[in-house]
Amino acid sequence: MASLSPRTPSSIARTNSSQSERKASWTAQSRNPVSQRLSKVLGTNFDSEDTRQALRTLSELYATTSKGKEVQAPTSGPTQPMVLTETVPGELAARARKNLRRDMELQLAEGSRKFLQALGEVDTKLGALQTHVAAMRTSCDEAETQLALTNESSKLLLERAGNLRDERQEVEDKKTIITLFLARFTLTELELQALTSRDVPIGQRFFDAMDKTERIREDCRVLMAGEDGSTKAGLEIMASTSTHLEDGYEKILRYCSNEFRKVGRDSQLEVSPVMKQTIQRLRKRPELLTEALSALSETRQATLLSSFIAALTRGGPSGYPRPIELHAHDPMRYVGDMLAWVHQTIAAEREFLESLFGIKSDGRMVGSVRNFSSKAEEEEWIRELMDLAVGKLCVPLKAGFSVRVQQTVRSQESNIVSYKIANLLQFYLMTMRRTIGEDALLSTTLKEITDVAYKVFYDSIEAQSQTLSRIRFDLDDPSLTPPNAILDHSQILREVMQVYQSSLLGTEDEDEINAGFNQVLDIMVDPAVQMCIANSEEKMKARPRWDGQVFILNCLCYLQSVLSTFEFTTQKRAEIQKTIDQRIALLTTEHSDNVLRDAGLWEVAETCKHHETDEPLSRLPSTQPADLQRALQRFSMWLSGLDVVHSPRLSHLTVQKMHTQIHQDALVRLAKEYKMICEEVKKPANRYEAAATLLGSERPFGQVHLLWQIFGLEDKEEEEESSDEGEDEDEDEEEDTEEEGEGEGDSEESEGESEES
Amino acid sequence: MAINDYEADATELLETYDFLMKYIVIGEAGTGKSCLLHHFTHNSFKDHSQHTIGVEFSSRTVKLGEKRIKLQLWDTAGQERFRSVTRSYYRGAAGAILVYDITNRDSFTNLGRWLADARTLASPNLVVVLVGNKSDREDDREVEWAEASRWAAENDVHFLEASSLTGENVEAPFLMAARAILLAIESGTLDPEKAGSGVSYGDRALRRVNSSSRLSFGSLSGSARRRGGAVKLKVKSWIPGSKCC
Repeated sequence: MASLSPRTPSSIARTNSSQSERKASWTAQSRNPVSQRLSKVLGTNFDSEDTRQALRTLSELYATTSKGKEVQAPTSGPTQPMVLTETVPGELAARARKNLRRDMELQLAEGSRKFLQALGEVDTKLGALQTHVAAMRTSCDEAETQLALTNESSKLLLERAGNLRDERQEVEDKKTIITLFLARFTLTELELQALTSRDVPIGQRFFDAMDKTERIREDCRVLMAGEDGSTKAGLEIMASTSTHLEDGYEKILRYCSNEFRKVGRDSQLEVSPVMKQTIQRLRKRPELLTEALSALSETRQATLLSSFIAALTRGGPSGYPRPIELHAHDPMRYVGDMLAWVHQTIAAEREFLESLFGIKSDGRMVGSVRNFSSKAEEEEWIRELMDLAVGKLCVPLKAGFSVRVQQTVRSQESNIVSYKIANLLQFYLMTMRRTIGEDALLSTTLKEITDVAYKVFYDSIEAQSQTLSRIRFDLDDPSLTPPNAILDHSQILREVMQVYQSSLLGTEDEDEINAGFNQVLDIMVDPAVQMCIANSEEKMKARPRWDGQVFILNCLCYLQSVLSTFEFTTQKRAEIQKTIDQRIALLTTEHSDNVLRDAGLWEVAETCKHHETDEPLSRLPSTQPADLQRALQRFSMWLSGLDVVHSPRLSHLTVQKMHTQIHQDALVRLAKEYKMICEEVKKPANRYEAAATLLGSERPFGQVHLLWQIFGLEDKEEEEESSDEGEDEDEDEEEDTEEEGEGEGDSEESEGESEES
Repeated sequence: MAINDYEADATELLETYDFLMKYIVIGEAGTGKSCLLHHFTHNSFKDHSQHTIGVEFSSRTVKLGEKRIKLQLWDTAGQERFRSVTRSYYRGAAGAILVYDITNRDSFTNLGRWLADARTLASPNLVVVLVGNKSDREDDREVEWAEASRWAAENDVHFLEASSLTGENVEAPFLMAARAILLAIESGTLDPEKAGSGVSYGDRALRRVNSSSRLSFGSLSGSARRRGGAVKLKVKSWIPGSKCC
């Protein structure tokens, strides 16, 4: 039915179109409803598929109208039971025409019933389904609740997981930081090993580890100095690094001590760069350095001592250079060789120590002045080590000196040798003092030895001088020249002075030079002077005719001449000069008295000088005119003699100048005495008759200036000053030697004295 | 050029060395021993030099071929009064630099005495180099080069003239002596192992000895000879037929 309705309009439309066609031809007929119906029916097209389908269905329903099919159809479909009842062909069609509706309705009902049944089933199923769904829903709800719950709880977990993740990140960061920190603030296994293990030799690796440890401590200290103050880690790092560092230093110390013991035994030393660096580092640990250095010092002491003893006793290979002891009989060479050896050793030692402490040599040479005031601690160490190293040498040095040298010197009893040795020692003492310092053991030992050597020398010259004092002059020897004892003594003195002169370095000032020799001069010259004077005075007593005064002057002048070649004797010469002056004064007085006596004026002059005023001179015994006349006669005789220009006594003086001077002084006095006599005679109070005649009877006729002329002297009274000056100049020109000059100066003084008298 | 080579090598100051040699510098007073030495060690002329007092010490490391040699130099006073002191320093010297002044004939005529002293007192293998100092003062020359050269040949010592003022040939005598000593060691006449020879091994040489059983100077001899020849051309003062080179 439903399928027919849509077809209807179309068929209608078709009908309409055909109607419109027929309209043209059949206009009248079309108005009739039947015809319309008919045409409509006729016009119906059953050819449509729907119709055919419907028919086919219908035919299927009444399957017997067709042949086999219809039979089969009911058999195949249990829903068509009535088909089976069909027996007559064609009957069915009829029946079908009759029963179509019923059949259809039956069919429909049947179909509906089936529908119902089926739907009932469906309904049941649906009910079950619903139950299931409800159950499912409950479950789902449960599940959802469960899920919500789970969700709730997992949220916490998630949160925690997130936290944990963050924490982990944090931890990671911390770890990185800590790793970095550890890398920066701790030592690696290798470094630790380098620092502490004995298997790792000291070298660059070790030094790097040390540096790192130092750096860590430095960084750590900086960190801890911050506002936060010291942290535990910081303290721990400091503690552990300090342990490691100490281990490192211990290792260095062990290395150094070992190395020092090893290399210290060589006579020549060389410093490896590693060694130098270890020392450089040890300087931060003074106590360890001290320990290492004392190990070095011990070894060096022993080594130097044994090499010194070898040099002393064994010499070089196959005896060259020969052992120093071989020359022990020659004390100069022996002492010189020993000290030169020591000096050379010091130089090598010094070089070694300088390179050990990394001091660049200052280009200074050994022996030149070293400045000890510089407070550099290396310098201090070097000084101490040097002192210790060479200090041990003092023992054999001292022994060698005291046993060998002193024996030799004493046995030879040679003042010169002992003095030379003392000077040599003094030279080395100065050298060593400048090289290893004033307080070094070697310096003090050398000082002792030097003092001993000087003592030996002084003792020997003292003994020499004492032998001099035991000498007694031969009373029967008339000679006035210095005796052999003095000559020999002077020879020794001269040699000693030469040694002293040559020991001077040229750097001393005058005082130093003088001070260095005064003691010798005191010991050697003073006893000689005393001996001369004492002995001559004794001899004079025994032999009054022996001219002791001249002898003494000769001896003194000789001693002075011996001294005069050396400048450092000025002081002693001045002392002797003083004695000479005294002696000259004595001799001058004595001589002028003698001259006065020889000239016959002595008594007259004495009387003139001492007479009392109330008694006139002409009444006194020695000055009565007759006596005076005789005296003047004698004077006149004397004036024509040789003695006026030359005194036989004074000619024994070895210094000619002194002779002249003394004699002249005597003549001056004589002239003055004569003048005084003349004046006295001329005085009316003395009541001489014809005083002028009396004086004029004999030469020089009472004329004093004539007397001056005879003596060949200037008139002192009138031209005293100018003549003095003139004489001085002349004398200066004539001076050949100093002592004469000085003698001259003093004779001038004596002139003065004689003038006063 | 050869001289320049020398100086470049020689000025190199080194810590370690193969050999240590002891030298003495001797000769009359005023011949310029200290100045020569000063120029050698400081590379400059020493103005206002005073007389040396006793003995003074200095040292320097030189390079000869492949060998580094440390020289311990003992500068002695020439004055007669220090003779007793300085003579003690001859002991065990390996080399002696005998200096005279070409402008002072006396300093030349006295050489015999100095040489005799050195030969008796120093080690028997002493190598002596005669140096005519003050070669810059040609105008005042009193000792002819030929005469000194003859004397040197007669006495079997090396000879050259030098000037401590200009620095000419200042290093050569020290190097000549060092070379002669090394050759003596090589030929076996000198044994550095023994004390008192004036020579001893340094650290470097010892290491080498330890590492190889035999100590060889092959390289040294070759280069030394070459160098020696070069110097000869320049210096003109080598004695033909002398032992060294």
